[in-house]
Amino acid sequence: MKWHILIGFLTAGAAVVLLGIIALNEPVRMESFSRSYHSRQIEEGARIFENNCRPCHGPQGEGSPLAPALNTSSLFNGERLTAVQFNGTLEDYVKGVVSSGRPVPSEGANYPQRMPTWSQEFGGPMRPDQIESVVAFVLNWEERALAAAEPTPVTGEPMMGTDIQIELPPGDAERGRALADGTLGCTVCHSLTPVGPAWAASGDQPGLTERAALRVEQADYAGEAGTPEQYLIESVADPNAYLVPGFTANVMPVNFADRITLQQMADLMAYMLSFR
Amino acid sequence: MAMLKNLSKYVPEMFRPHLPVLDDLKQKGPKKALQHLADDVVTRVTAGLSIADVRGVLRDDPAPRPNPRLTPHAEGFWLHMKPTYYHNLVDGLYPTFRLGWLATFFFAWEIVTGIYLMIFYTPSPLVAYENMLGILSNVPFGRLMRDTHKLGGELMIITVVLHMLRTFITGSYKRPRQFTWATGGLLLITTLFVSFFGYLLPWDQLSLWAVTIGASTAEATPLIGKQMDLLVRGGPEIGANGLLRAYLLHVIVIPLVMVITFGVHYYKVIIHGHSLPPGHEPIGEDSARKVPMDRRTYFMPKILTRELAYVFALVAILVLASAFNWGYHAPLEPHADPLVTPLHTTSPWYFLWIQGMMKMGDKLLFGVFIPFMVILPTIVVWPYMEVGPSRLYGHRRIGLSIAATSLIGAAVLSYMGTPWFAVTSSPDQEAVASLLPQTSPGPLRLAPWDEILYGTYEASRWQQAPSTTLQGLLRTFDREMEHVRADQRYLSPEGFMIIEDWQIDLKKVTLRVTWTDGDTGEPGEYFQTQYLHRHSDYGQGE
Repeated sequence: MKWHILIGFLTAGAAVVLLGIIALNEPVRMESFSRSYHSRQIEEGARIFENNCRPCHGPQGEGSPLAPALNTSSLFNGERLTAVQFNGTLEDYVKGVVSSGRPVPSEGANYPQRMPTWSQEFGGPMRPDQIESVVAFVLNWEERALAAAEPTPVTGEPMMGTDIQIELPPGDAERGRALADGTLGCTVCHSLTPVGPAWAASGDQPGLTERAALRVEQADYAGEAGTPEQYLIESVADPNAYLVPGFTANVMPVNFADRITLQQMADLMAYMLSFR
Repeated sequence: MAMLKNLSKYVPEMFRPHLPVLDDLKQKGPKKALQHLADDVVTRVTAGLSIADVRGVLRDDPAPRPNPRLTPHAEGFWLHMKPTYYHNLVDGLYPTFRLGWLATFFFAWEIVTGIYLMIFYTPSPLVAYENMLGILSNVPFGRLMRDTHKLGGELMIITVVLHMLRTFITGSYKRPRQFTWATGGLLLITTLFVSFFGYLLPWDQLSLWAVTIGASTAEATPLIGKQMDLLVRGGPEIGANGLLRAYLLHVIVIPLVMVITFGVHYYKVIIHGHSLPPGHEPIGEDSARKVPMDRRTYFMPKILTRELAYVFALVAILVLASAFNWGYHAPLEPHADPLVTPLHTTSPWYFLWIQGMMKMGDKLLFGVFIPFMVILPTIVVWPYMEVGPSRLYGHRRIGLSIAATSLIGAAVLSYMGTPWFAVTSSPDQEAVASLLPQTSPGPLRLAPWDEILYGTYEASRWQQAPSTTLQGLLRTFDREMEHVRADQRYLSPEGFMIIEDWQIDLKKVTLRVTWTDGDTGEPGEYFQTQYLHRHSDYGQGE
């Protein structure tokens, strides 16, 4: 037998065996690719969320005064779907809301802005695959959101109200920081850098305390505060009293006066005054 | 049998079917009759070879007399264009190296795999990328077909170029084979372009930007530049129209031109015979068609069985090359995004020489005029300009020197086309790209997920990182930071890697370079974030 005939037979056999091995392995390989692609969607979704959704929904989807929490058990245990009377799957619900936005807020919610439309189909900036990536990322919160206990503190403490001359109890800056970063979600908006709130001194901008002092002295200042402390309280409790040039009304939620206690305001004040 | 006989009694003569095999059955019995039938079928299919003849060919037996192996050449369609015998001087590896045959094999392979892929592909930006994912995740043999289609295409380009070089070196383009060479030149150009337009079809970042760079040269065409640009891209930027055009060019227009050109090319090869190695015939004579009886190598059995062996061997090699995760896999990057240009993006490697030339200056001169109006046309018409009769290597020093210089020139220009030549980029971005490149997965995405531990690390203190993986990554980062430190504009630069827990099975990795601007004293920062999922599993063939 000539060498090329031998090689022909051997390689033909080898090709058949290889194709057989591939055929046997295909289901596993296809499964593995699907899983890894889903994982990459989550990665991509995280990036998109950070750049587009974080300003309102918070870095970890914990929600803010501007938009509801996503990283929360009520989204995953069916409460939210029941509340909006949506009969489809959660995935479809999230995809629909991300794609076409929200013309009206959920009942009882009082967010200053509507959810914008994100899909190119509805005039937004995102391609279909980007929408799906964001949805994959949001749904990936399920396990932790369901695991996290959600205590709802009910206290009879006095609320803040809109009186900016009220006397505050002694505050604790550490607790204030926890409020700003967590429960109240102030730093969701009040941040310009990847780390820390924009209240710190940076560049030619002085710290928050200094800024407040300058503000009340300004000629165009239209609010009622006489001291830097009063100005800070006013900014939280009655934010439309004076608008810093460049900002529009109602972006800062107007309902903090009814949402935070006197003690919380004091803690926040202690925290804010720490930025000199 | 008995029934048939009885039946025939009742059916009038003119309606009785006459099947020779029934007569055979009657006369010789079932075994003999079936053998006869099989033999008949094989003889018809092979256009003249009985089963015994086929077996003789495959066993490499000497030809019987009269030789039935010549009949398929005379009567069959497929073999009528194959010569019955070759000169045994062209039967060895030298002088042809089988390169033309190999290019033909790859072309056939591309058609087979290409048709398979076409079944699962729609040329629309809305679904093209999703189709790629479908081919990889939901089509049996999808990855194999995609990978070997890409691999076969790239190997075809290499083979065609080597084939041209070989033909040039042995002087086989000379009289009377000038036209064969010219059609070969057209085949080279069409091979490059068919591959180029195929590049766009996956609709990922790699394809969009490689083709965008290539298509931008069309804009430099004199007088009708704008029209050419619009024609190629199908709009101001490549979108649905551009993708559809690339698809049609890739699957219909260019392949059709190639099939026709190849037909002419091969017809000319056979009409003139394979040229003998230089030095085996007197200068100026062509004796390829005058083959003495004792110097003939017949197509059957030797060449046929050898080519069959090549086919099986090549199929086995191509399948093996892409069968497992360690093999060759066609890249698939994130979805095409006209708004985001990846760092280090290039045209396809076989057009890097043009990109290299364009860096030397004028786009019109170096991007359009020289490559498409000087170099490629010169290749096509070369045999009509260089008409020296001698094919001897010693007599063709100038021609061979030009070939060698062109080769070196192409290599140098291709290098110049890469991002490592004359592309100004900021060293801070380069440092981050050393771990997070934008045109391939890169070290960070490929690193074992479990060993990327939470914390904030400094590149310069890579030795203190808690895992060897992190040490390796930070060391790579730190090495690239050397370029930042060497740059006067960056004062006290630092490289950081910050790894945070982000979601279940998801980590956030921030690569951050900070410095103080040498001129203004302002603090500077560049950072990039990559989220890493436990199962994203880069590098498994995409």
